[in-house]
Amino acid sequence: MVVDDHPIWRDAVARDLAEEGFDVVATADGVGSARRRAAVVKPDVVVMDMRLADGNGAGATAEVLAVSPSSRVLVLSASDERDDVLEAVKAGATGYLVKSASKTELADAVRATGEGRAVFTPGLAGLVLGEYRRMQRIPGMGSTPSLTERETEILRYVAKGLTAKQIAEQLTLSHRTVENHVQATFRKLQVANRVELARYAIEHGLDE
Amino acid sequence: MRVPPTPDPATPLWRAAQVFRLLSCLYALGFQIAINADLDRPAVGWSLFAVLIAWSVACAAAYLHGYGRRIAWVAAELVVVVALMSSTAVVASDAWALDNQSWPTTLWATNATISAAILLGPIPGMVAGLVVTAASAALKGYVSIDVGRNATVVIELAVGLAVGMAAQTARRAHAELQRAARLAASLEERERLSREVHDGAIQVLALVSRRGREIGGPTMELAELAGEQERALRRWVSGVGTRAPEGTTTDLVPMLRCRASDRVSVSLPADPVVLDSDVAAEVDAAVANALDNVAFHAGAGARAFVLLEDLGGSVVVSIRDDGVGIPAGRLEQAVGEGRVGVSKSIVGRMEWLGGSARLNTGQGRGTEWELTIPRSP
Repeated sequence: MVVDDHPIWRDAVARDLAEEGFDVVATADGVGSARRRAAVVKPDVVVMDMRLADGNGAGATAEVLAVSPSSRVLVLSASDERDDVLEAVKAGATGYLVKSASKTELADAVRATGEGRAVFTPGLAGLVLGEYRRMQRIPGMGSTPSLTERETEILRYVAKGLTAKQIAEQLTLSHRTVENHVQATFRKLQVANRVELARYAIEHGLDE
Repeated sequence: MRVPPTPDPATPLWRAAQVFRLLSCLYALGFQIAINADLDRPAVGWSLFAVLIAWSVACAAAYLHGYGRRIAWVAAELVVVVALMSSTAVVASDAWALDNQSWPTTLWATNATISAAILLGPIPGMVAGLVVTAASAALKGYVSIDVGRNATVVIELAVGLAVGMAAQTARRAHAELQRAARLAASLEERERLSREVHDGAIQVLALVSRRGREIGGPTMELAELAGEQERALRRWVSGVGTRAPEGTTTDLVPMLRCRASDRVSVSLPADPVVLDSDVAAEVDAAVANALDNVAFHAGAGARAFVLLEDLGGSVVVSIRDDGVGIPAGRLEQAVGEGRVGVSKSIVGRMEWLGGSARLNTGQGRGTEWELTIPRSP
């Protein structure tokens, strides 16, 4: 499923994916339409733009995953790695790619996302690293998941531009193990986000 | 009647001053009733008191409406006050003037001090207070230096200072607020602009570059151009809206974001990394040095990666490149190439900040600088 508010882009991405042998089951231009269609078609992979007609990609990611939990979200954004991408990862997105990526790169990323692998960039790793450090600095967040030493090490390598393969060589790990570590950091961030939301709700009396 | 173009932030003070004026008139009336019989010329006393009331009403109206809030009016008030005070010599005997406060009471005369202070600030306010004191001293024929017995000068100076500072503070706070509002408006406008640029230009450029590369041939060149512009615009848009905070501290994040280019990837946290402005400038300069090094020595096609991490107690910046690196034992040659000169400048900057700079390199491994900057507690 392709979600993008720009009709030319939406069609181009959908066509490219079809040419690469993917089955594009639906397209949507906004948060509302994405949620409605995902609930019906339960797509394996959602290619998600960050800026939509009626909201942003982070909100759409959360809504799509709420109605179709088995879907995996790959963020395809023209904007640079900024807070909104981090929000999308917190909402459950497992991949991120800039729109300047080539057709082959897009196809590879969609395939990897479909297989449950994380797709990431140095910029995203920097954001995720920064987010864990921010959570550490907030006092009284004892239950917040933190990174293991290995995860920190790997995220730093990614942020410094090493590919999963190079990192694997450096640490004598398998390529897949490196990816799993990165993915774990994304997942924990999603959990931390839920904890934070719940805490916020309790603190503000929304649970009464 | 002319209304000032922008609301005067001192308006509440002007209103309060007119309440004081009313009270001082009532006090002057009481004083007048009490002492009129002692005056040499009671009739003149009462007619001058009528002038006082008329002038007070005129002043109150002028200051409340705003047309009196200028130097000419305040100067006129001061002149009228001094003139009325001097009339004591006409209406009363010298002995009376020596025994009593000057007609028509020091309290009423203070109105002139207050007006000057509100309009012009503490120093002119205090000057007006001195003028009032001087007029009273001239009547008595001597300058009272015993502030314990006659506190007129102290009170006049204190009123001028306090009211003047209140007015100044109100104006400054107002100016600050307006500046903040203007800044917020311009930021909002920039964000709106960036959204529009994003939705239109960037998307189309990205598409052209993508399709162009796929078509190949001479279109590749066009695709390259479009891609270059797309990336430049994307960087511009992502730099918009994050201006460094004013004053002595600076957010390092937008500074380093500006260093991103086709060959330089910059990884940053989402939150600001605030450092003292001069520290941030040194760090930024050291990063620039390191990136220059990459551009000159790492070889054609080398890419650089900058990572900024905020560890709380310290800030770490890593600059890595995937270039040729410095082979072991070849540092002597590097000295000849001027490479170590730049390295020394990076190390020097970090030492000056009380931090450290570590270089990790080897043949074919590229180079990596790790700069650690401690935060002062």
